[in-house]
Amino acid sequence: MADSQPSMHEKLAALRSQYAERIDARVDDLCDLLDVFGDANESKRRDILQKLREATHKLAGSGATFGFPGVTEHARAMEHSCVDALNGDDNIEVGLVDRLRAMSDQLRKATETQSTETQSEAEKFSTQQDGTSVGREDNPHLHDSSRQDILIVMEYSAEQERQTRLELAHFGFNVRIVDHPQKMIADLKAHGGVDIIITGVHFDDSEDAAFKALGELREHSEFCTIPVVVYSEIDTMTSRLGAVRADVKAYIVKPVDMADLVNVMDDVTERHEEEQFRVLVVDDDESLAQHTEIVLQSAGMETRIATDPMQIYEVLDDFSPELILLDLYMPGCSGQEIAAIVRQREEYAGIPIVFLSGESDKDKQLSAMELGGDDFLTKPIRASHLISSVRIRVARFRKLRSFMVRDSMTGLFNHTTTKQLLDNEISRAQRAKGSLALVALDIDHFKNVNDTYGHAVGDRVIKALARLLRQRLRSADIIGRMGGEEFAAVLPDSGVNEAGRVFDQIRKAFSEIMFHTGDKSFNVTISCGVADFPRYDSATELSDAADKALYAAKHGGRNQVVKAQ
Amino acid sequence: MSNSELSKILYVEDDPDIQVVAQMALETVGGYTLCVCSSGQEALDQAEAFAPDMILLDVMMPEMDGPTTLGNLRKMDSLSVTPAIFMTAKVMPSDVERYKELGAVDVIAKPFDPMSLATRIQEIWGECHG
Repeated sequence: MADSQPSMHEKLAALRSQYAERIDARVDDLCDLLDVFGDANESKRRDILQKLREATHKLAGSGATFGFPGVTEHARAMEHSCVDALNGDDNIEVGLVDRLRAMSDQLRKATETQSTETQSEAEKFSTQQDGTSVGREDNPHLHDSSRQDILIVMEYSAEQERQTRLELAHFGFNVRIVDHPQKMIADLKAHGGVDIIITGVHFDDSEDAAFKALGELREHSEFCTIPVVVYSEIDTMTSRLGAVRADVKAYIVKPVDMADLVNVMDDVTERHEEEQFRVLVVDDDESLAQHTEIVLQSAGMETRIATDPMQIYEVLDDFSPELILLDLYMPGCSGQEIAAIVRQREEYAGIPIVFLSGESDKDKQLSAMELGGDDFLTKPIRASHLISSVRIRVARFRKLRSFMVRDSMTGLFNHTTTKQLLDNEISRAQRAKGSLALVALDIDHFKNVNDTYGHAVGDRVIKALARLLRQRLRSADIIGRMGGEEFAAVLPDSGVNEAGRVFDQIRKAFSEIMFHTGDKSFNVTISCGVADFPRYDSATELSDAADKALYAAKHGGRNQVVKAQ
Repeated sequence: MSNSELSKILYVEDDPDIQVVAQMALETVGGYTLCVCSSGQEALDQAEAFAPDMILLDVMMPEMDGPTTLGNLRKMDSLSVTPAIFMTAKVMPSDVERYKELGAVDVIAKPFDPMSLATRIQEIWGECHG
């Protein structure tokens, strides 16, 4: 527990500055509600009060947690006034709005005063923002939350070292470099562990030194879990085999764009907070199904049992499993037939189906596979065998599915998926009477970048922006690449001001990232249009409003964020 | 109760800001395994499969509030006696009693201190099993 405390403090500080960045705009959204209060009729006023109540309740509940005790205090006062007014029998008087407005002024003042603990973090952040006290190379203007430490064991020259350091700093990494594998462990001991190690393999005209050092690394308990990536010009079978044996997570052959390297590093260091695997067990024998279920649940999977194969579609739609375990012999219809039925539905054509049966006749097993099964497990089966068979297939299915829903270059959601997720979020906001913001984003003069520097450089710009968006937005936010240089973001629970504020910071940060090609350096700007629900209350209206705002931003001179009011 | 080690917590909270900080507090500091749900309905869907040792619920949520969610969870056999804690921004002594009547073992006030949340949860767990 003691070990995790410092990183917890860092993470908290990052969350706090993220919260601090948004809070002002959240108060703006409250004030917008108050602005329409005076002109509204009685039922609309109740609506507004209810919204105000929910918003202030949230602020009251979160303020002090993120270092703003004053926000909690004043938001709570506003919440109480709203509750009193809502519970009163009388009509809601207009005078209330003035009192609420006075309170919101106090609330706004409170957003400016962070508790001392967070102050230092905020100061650090603001000095970084205006770039006065920190050198440019160390100051990528990115959010601190995902800053990672890397140790690089370099194969070559000082010039390359300088360049690598510079580029990785722009992507928000803290870089340490040594020039020989022998120095790796000493550096870790002297300066502490890192999140990832990148190493070349060609030293002293052989590959032995690098792999020997990695072997030694694994003997140090405090460093043995650090993921290692090989980044080298050498691409031979012996060197790749050495890498596999040294438990290297990825092998990247130079030359490769820094953005690609960064993507690989993101994959490798990804914190595994993955969703549970969802497995559907179809077996007419309930006690057998339950046994299977317990085995899978013990491995942390989520399961559902269907004992009536005729209801398979209902269960599929309700549970959306990622793998189906199917008994071969059931009354009514056989496992093969069920597999064929499942495959008839387009959306389930790719789901792994595994037969689990006492059938040991190889021919019968094969004929079951012909009808759409992926594998055949023979009962009785060892629990560990069942678990790993299922785990491997689900993991592969997820990977495949991610190719269908994500844009291959950036890893962001693709156009179709983003639209679907926007619809989902709108329905959710409708049900919860909540809000959401949609941002349409476009890189300025992108054609010029491609024409001047070539498409490879253009791609780098796009990847850098994708990465910045991922870094700056919350995990609940949806980020999509809509095509070419167009992006979109859906921010649940946010109004137009909050989203506008966040994207203005992203705009600023992006404009300050330098891109390098050959001996030239340049920077690129973006324009954004922001609109929010329920001001625009359908996906079409919301998208149109965000697009119009983006259009206005382009015509207003680009490099700006325009809010649809 | 035979199992006296707290490891799995079902956590129901609709505010994404709070969600993320509490998750960090409970996973990183506390070392617990969390199933985070953004709504009461999601909690009902996930609860049985996750089989939590403890349930942590926000009180005020749209659609299905914390007490209603807990009531529905209690109808599931495996969750009928799982210790539950409410988290709420409004804690009056009278509220605490009312929440306890609804089947919660304790109430944690919001805003909370992220660094000590896990300790507080562990204390409450200890009291349940003391």
